[in-house]
Amino acid sequence: MLKITNLHAKVGEKAILKGLSLTVNPGEVHAIMGPNGSGKSTLSYVLAGRPGYTVTDGTAEYEGKDLLTMDPEIRAREGVFLAFQYPVEIPGVSNKYFLKAAYNAQRKHRGEPEMDAGAFLKFIKEKAKSVEMDPSFLNRSVNEGFSGGEKKRNEILQLAVLEPRLALLDETDSGLDIDALKVVAGGVNKMRDAKRAFVVVTHYQRLLDYIVPDFVHVLSGGRIVKSGGKELALELEKKGYGWIEEKVAA
Amino acid sequence: MIARDLAAQKEGWRYTPAAILTGPDFKPAGVPERILPLAGRVLCPIGFHRAALVNGRWEAKHAVLKLPDGVTVEPLTEASGVEEFLNRPAPEDLPLAKTASAARDGFVVRVARHVHADRPIHLVHISEASSCAESSQARVLVVLEPGATAELVEETLSFGDAPSWKNVRSQIVLGEGAFLRHHRVVREGAQGRLTTALEVSLASRARYESHALNLGGLFAREDLRVRLEGEGAECHLNGLALLGGSEFADHHSIVEHIAVGGITRQLYKAVIDDKARYVFDGLISVKPGAQKTDAQVYNKNLLLSEDARVNTNPEFKILADDVSCKHGGAVGQLSLEALFYLRSRGIGADEARRLLVYAFGSEMVDRVALEPLKLAIEGALHGRMPEENL
Repeated sequence: MLKITNLHAKVGEKAILKGLSLTVNPGEVHAIMGPNGSGKSTLSYVLAGRPGYTVTDGTAEYEGKDLLTMDPEIRAREGVFLAFQYPVEIPGVSNKYFLKAAYNAQRKHRGEPEMDAGAFLKFIKEKAKSVEMDPSFLNRSVNEGFSGGEKKRNEILQLAVLEPRLALLDETDSGLDIDALKVVAGGVNKMRDAKRAFVVVTHYQRLLDYIVPDFVHVLSGGRIVKSGGKELALELEKKGYGWIEEKVAA
Repeated sequence: MIARDLAAQKEGWRYTPAAILTGPDFKPAGVPERILPLAGRVLCPIGFHRAALVNGRWEAKHAVLKLPDGVTVEPLTEASGVEEFLNRPAPEDLPLAKTASAARDGFVVRVARHVHADRPIHLVHISEASSCAESSQARVLVVLEPGATAELVEETLSFGDAPSWKNVRSQIVLGEGAFLRHHRVVREGAQGRLTTALEVSLASRARYESHALNLGGLFAREDLRVRLEGEGAECHLNGLALLGGSEFADHHSIVEHIAVGGITRQLYKAVIDDKARYVFDGLISVKPGAQKTDAQVYNKNLLLSEDARVNTNPEFKILADDVSCKHGGAVGQLSLEALFYLRSRGIGADEARRLLVYAFGSEMVDRVALEPLKLAIEGALHGRMPEENL
């Protein structure tokens, strides 16, 4: 589904990713762990197409297509979703309208008819319920005045509505208390199936108690330096990142 | 004469390109050969009371006035008993208002004590197409007696390829406890110039709510003077300018708090694209003795292009010591973060930009309570969205 080969990328003039390779198959959940500054968020942004991030070498294929040349909106319509570490507040645009515009853009892309307002409202109310979100949030401006937890929950609502094939979760656990973390993880787990893949980017092992990964990768210095099963996350939790970085340096 | 007046207006015209007014050789506008219907050209639907000035002259064919008792809408040429108001001199620093004082025609609207005007009153100022540069002068007088209420929609329009210039002096007098909701919609053409001077006086507990909506036109300079003369008077001043091309709009206002307990809430927003320019100058002046004044003046601007320009100056002059006054001005561009966020959800770049521009302006549209007008403004806001790619 996703095949990243020797990816190099810079932000401004600063090289961040330096030869990252990763293959993700349908149905898999991959966790990318790493210390601050290792390039975790850069990887998410590069895959989602954020302006300002320049790919200098390497490739990323998504379902056989070159992901890196697509506009961000095309990637989204093709089924790639990034749950932001810091979801953006958009005063004046209601959550409901935003979700509808996003959802219908995707349907249009697939050559399906747009869903009308009444049916869509019913649809998103169900989805809101599934992530334990009060329906009043649908009428509020996108993320405006939401608490950290509410913002993350709103990301998961979008995930549930857009039903991507490849979901990238960037530090979705940051700023969440344990109850909110459980809700968010629950939302993700409900969507796990044989066709959908997740790439979960996180600094801490805690999230992985709730979203159990099939593979864990350690990102350091812009490359994946170690891969393993879920037990690798526990080892990292115990020993920290220092031992891996030392090994790489040696 | 007008060129001389303009030359005298140095202060307060620093950012206003007066040459747009002095350039063409304006002749006083005549009566058009044919009176064209208003249908399809004006914003407000049939169902409102309506009167129109065509090239500065009352046009009886356009009047739709089945007014209830206690409400009158008349041409200036026929109104009597209002000399007291009409003879008040224009402010010294507004010489264009002085010029307009000599206008031969205009609107006179009166609502008697405790009468509620049943339907909105739509006043249209229209400059019809002409073969040469034409200007017209007009006066507007609105008097609400104590306890009266009314809704007013004033719309200015111009047509044709020749330069046109409307210069209007308006006076609004609100008696004790009166309430006026005033929508001022500018929809001038590519050669339309508009200068207005509006003086509003409020007696005790009177309320004035205005919506200054600039939806286009080559040049609009609008001066607003509000005097809160009676205790507990209140004004809510809303503004939205949507400018593109090489359009220019200028909102100058002075609100004077003269009595105790007055309230002002002023928020003007502008969306400025292409080479358009916008000027906001909003002064709130709190006089000695106007204690417990509660006033705010804000101006927020969204620049959509490199060449768009704005000059903003929200300001206070406070001569009382027990007051609450807040002001602020902001100039920004579309948030790249917000744009990427929308695009990352599958919303195309153009639509994302439109959505964000709409979101910026929609706050002001939401404040328009008059439904048919609100729809028209929404349409105009959509029509003014930027189209180009990122």
